[in-house]
Amino acid sequence: MAGYLGRTFVQLIATLVGIVTVVFFLMRAIPGDPALYMLGDFATETAIVALRERLGLDLPVYQQYFLFMERAVTGDLGRSVVTGQPALTEIISALPWSLSLAVGGLSVAVLVGVPLGILSAIKHGTWIDTAIMLVALIGISFPVFWVGLVAILFLSYHGGIFPALGAAVGGGFWTQIHHLILPALVLGLSVAAYIARLTRSAMLEVLGQDYVRVARAMGVPERRINFRFALRNAFIPILAVIGVTFAWALGNAILVEVVFSRPGLGSTILKAILARDYQLVQAGVLVLATGVVLINATLNVLYGVIDPRMRTGE
Amino acid sequence: MSQITADATAMRDREAARRRRRTAIRRYTGHPGFMIGAVIIALMAIIAIGAPWIAPNSPLATDLANTLAPPSWQFPLGTDQFGRCVLSRLIYGAQISLQVGFWVVLISLTFGTLIGALAGFIGGWLERIIVALIDIMLAFPGFLLALALVAAQGSSLTSVITAVAIAYTPRVATVMRSVVLTIRPRPFIEASHAIGLSSLRILIRHVIPNALPPVIVVATVSAATAILAEAGLSFLGLGVQPPTATWGSVIAEGQAIITTRPLISLSAGICIAIAVIGLNLLGDGLRDTLDPQMRRQTGGKML
Amino acid sequence: MLQSKEFIGDGSKVDDAHSAGRPALELRNLVTRFPGDDGAFNIVDGVSLSVLPGETLAVVGESGSGKTMTFLSAIGLVPRPGKVVEGEILLDGTDLLMLSEEDMRAVRGTRLSMVFQDPLTGLNPVFTIGDQIAGVLHAHRKLSRTEAREIAIGLLEKVHIPDPHRRIDDYPHQLSGGMRQRVLIAMAISLEPQVLIADEPTTALDVTVQAQVLELLAELREQSGMAIVLITHDLGLVARYADRVAVMYAGRVAETGDAEAIFERTAHPYTVSLFRSVPSLETDTASDLLEIEGQPPDPAALPAGCAFEPRCYLGHGRQDCQATRPALRAVGESSHRAACLHSSEVITEGTVE
Repeated sequence: MAGYLGRTFVQLIATLVGIVTVVFFLMRAIPGDPALYMLGDFATETAIVALRERLGLDLPVYQQYFLFMERAVTGDLGRSVVTGQPALTEIISALPWSLSLAVGGLSVAVLVGVPLGILSAIKHGTWIDTAIMLVALIGISFPVFWVGLVAILFLSYHGGIFPALGAAVGGGFWTQIHHLILPALVLGLSVAAYIARLTRSAMLEVLGQDYVRVARAMGVPERRINFRFALRNAFIPILAVIGVTFAWALGNAILVEVVFSRPGLGSTILKAILARDYQLVQAGVLVLATGVVLINATLNVLYGVIDPRMRTGE
Repeated sequence: MSQITADATAMRDREAARRRRRTAIRRYTGHPGFMIGAVIIALMAIIAIGAPWIAPNSPLATDLANTLAPPSWQFPLGTDQFGRCVLSRLIYGAQISLQVGFWVVLISLTFGTLIGALAGFIGGWLERIIVALIDIMLAFPGFLLALALVAAQGSSLTSVITAVAIAYTPRVATVMRSVVLTIRPRPFIEASHAIGLSSLRILIRHVIPNALPPVIVVATVSAATAILAEAGLSFLGLGVQPPTATWGSVIAEGQAIITTRPLISLSAGICIAIAVIGLNLLGDGLRDTLDPQMRRQTGGKML
Repeated sequence: MLQSKEFIGDGSKVDDAHSAGRPALELRNLVTRFPGDDGAFNIVDGVSLSVLPGETLAVVGESGSGKTMTFLSAIGLVPRPGKVVEGEILLDGTDLLMLSEEDMRAVRGTRLSMVFQDPLTGLNPVFTIGDQIAGVLHAHRKLSRTEAREIAIGLLEKVHIPDPHRRIDDYPHQLSGGMRQRVLIAMAISLEPQVLIADEPTTALDVTVQAQVLELLAELREQSGMAIVLITHDLGLVARYADRVAVMYAGRVAETGDAEAIFERTAHPYTVSLFRSVPSLETDTASDLLEIEGQPPDPAALPAGCAFEPRCYLGHGRQDCQATRPALRAVGESSHRAACLHSSEVITEGTVE
C-alpha cells in the first residue's frame, strides 16, 4: 500500500507541474502583448512598460516560465489589476461559495444518480430501466443554465419557494442554505443524469462478469449479489465516473453561478475574463484544475483501498 | 473436399453473409432510439440549411414599433425586445449549433484519433508522454478551457469552434488509445508486421479503421457536448457575437424578460435540448448496434 | 401442471434404462428457446439425459452444440432472453421447472451446483476467497462468522489447498489458475450437492494441473456419492473419467450410452468424426480444438433433415438424411442410443483405430 500511495503521490506532483505549465502557455497564447491586452488600448506607454516589468514579460520565455513556476509554488499568483488584491486572495475568498455549491450539487448528483443507475442496471430491460434512462437522457440534454432559469421562473418567481438570486452573502447560516438549495439542485440533477447513465453501464458490466454467474450458480440471493457482491466491484468504475464528472460539474457550476448571480470561482473567473484581468484568470483556472487533480488523486487512493490488485500494482 | 461440397459451402457462406447484412440493417431500423435520433438530426440539418426559405422573417430585422409582440400568424413565437422574429432567430440559430457540432467533431475526431492511435500503436515513451499530456488536459474542466481559449482569441464562430475542439480532443484521444491497445495484439496486425508492411501503413490501413466504431460513438456524443458548450458560451456573451442569432444568445436575451415573455427563453432551450437528445440517441443507438464488445471500451469515457 | 410436488418424485417415472436407481438428475425432452431476428429458435431442442448418483456423465460436443446451454437451463441460469419452454428437469425426482424463483435459488448450491470454464474470471477479485466461500455458506445456512470460516478452511483442505489457514485470507489474484479452480470447486461442493455440473473445468488450465483437478473431482465423487456432469470437448478426459457419455450436436443428443459402448461400438458419424479429430500426442495440445470439416450449423437455420448431414462423411447428399430428422433410438444394448438413420452402418464399419 505504501508503494501504491507513493506512486499516486509522484503522479500527483507531475500532473500539478503539468497544469502550471499548461496555464503558463495558455496565457502566452493570447495574441499580441499581454500587458497591452490587460491595460486596454488607451494605456500609457509608461504603464505598459511598468506592467511588463512586473509580469516579467521582458525576460526570455524560459526564464518567465521558471519565474512563474517558482511563484506558483510559493503561492504568488500575481495581482488582480482591477482590485489590486493578490489574485490568490481573491480566489480564496470566492472559494467557500463555490465549494458549498460543488459539495451540495455533487451530493445531490451522487445521492440521486448512483442509486438510479444501479436500479436501472438491476432492472435491465424492464420499463423501470427504460423510464430511468429516458429521464436521464432528458436530464443531460437540457443546458444547465436554461434549467436554472426555468427553476427560478417557476420555483422562485411563481412558486416563491426559494430565493431567486444571490447567495445571501453576510446572511445567517440557514438563509445561506436556503439560497444554496435551488442552485445545488439544478447543478446536482444535471450531473445526476450523467452519473446515472455511467453508473448503469458500469454496473451492467459487473453483472455480466463470470463471478456473478458463479455466485448465482451457488444460489447466492440476487439481493446479496447486487448490493454486497457486485456493488463493491462497480464501486471503482462508479468512483471513476464521479471523478470524470467532477471536472465537468465544475464547468457547469460556472454557468449555475452566473444564472443565480452567486459569488464564486466561476463568476470570479468570468468577470476576470470580461475585465481582461489576466492574472486573476490564470489563478482561477489554476486553482480549479488543482482541485480536479486533488479529487482524482483522492479517488486513486480509494481505488487502492477497494481493489487489492491495485495495491500490488498488477 | 468434393466439388459439390465446395459449392454447397460457398452457397451457405453467401447466404450467411446476406443474412448478416440484413440483420445489420434491421439492427439499425429496429432500434427506436437510433431511428428517432437520426430523424431529429436530419430534420435539424434540413432546417439549418433551408433556413432562408423556411424562416418566416429575417432573423436580424429589428422593428422597434413591434417589440415583445405575442405570437401571431406573422410572428409564430412573437418578437423579442428589438422586434425581431423569435422563430426565425431559432431557425437560423440551428445553423450555428449544427456548424459547431459538425466542425468540433471533425476536428477533435481527426486529431484525437491520430494522437490516440499514435500513442496506443507506437507505445513506449511517446505513449507515456501523450498519456501524461492528456491527463493534464483532462484536469481542466472542458467548459472552463473553452471559456479561457475563447477569451484569449476573441469571440467569433471560428474561435468558438477551435476552443471547444481543443477542449474535447483529449477525450477522443483517450478513447482511441484504449481501443487501439485492444487491437494491437490481434493476429491480423501481427501478420501485417510479419509480411513487412510499414508501421504507418498498418496504422492507417488496419488499426484506425478497426478502432473507428467506438470513436464514432464518442464523436457523436461530443457533438452533443459541443452544442451545449457553444450554447453556454453564447449565453455568457462569449460566443458568436450579436446580432447573429444563436440559441444560447436567444436564451440570454430572453432572460431579462423571462417573467413577462417566458416563451422566448423556453423555446430556445427546448431547441438545444432536442438537438442534444437527437445526438445522444444517435450515439446510444450506434453504441448498441455497431459492435456489442465496444460497449466495454467506451463505457465511462463518454464525457 | 397442478401436480403437487410430492407426486412428481414418483419412482415409476424413471427411465427404464436406469431402473437400478433413481437418477440424481434427469432431463426430459428439454427445450430452450431464444427469440431471433428470423423467428425463435431452439438452442436446446428436446434433450433427454440422466445421471445416477455417484456416476460421471460426460457431455461432449463442439462449442455451439448446446451442451453448456442445456445445463445452464438445468440450473435455471439461461441468459436472457432465452427461456426453457418445454420439458422436465428432475432433480432427485423434483421437477425444478415447477419451483418458484426463490425455491430454485435454494436448490442451487445446496443440491445442484456448477463449476465453470474459466477459473480466472470466476472469482470476484475484490473479496478474499474466504469471504467468497463464506458468502455461499451464508446464502443457505445460518452460521456465525467464525463457524463459516472454520468450514471454509475445512473445504480448502478438502480440495488440497496447502496451508488453508493462511490462504483463506488471500485474494484471487494471489492464487494460481489451478488453485482458483480448486477454490471454485470448494465453493460448489460446500453444501454437499447431489449433482455437480462441471463445464469444461480444466480447459483454461495447464495439462498437469488439468489432471489434478479431475482427480480431485473423482475423489470428491467417491467420498460423497454425488453425481458429476462433466461438460467437455476433450475425449481423452471422457475415456478416463466418464461412466456414461452423451454426445450433443445442434442442440440435440446425437448419441448416448455407457462410455465403453460409445468407444467400442460408436453408432453416430458425428461421434466418429469427433474421435478422428482428437489431436495425437505430437500435435499442439494447448489448442486442441476439434476440427471437423465445415462449421457447426446456425441454430437459427437448421437443415430440415439431420443437422449433421452437410458435414457427414456417411450421409452427405443422401436423400433420406436430408429429408428426415432422425430420432434417438436404441442401438445394441438398452442404454446405448443414437440419432442416426444409418447407425448400423457406422457400427459395422468399426471406428477407433
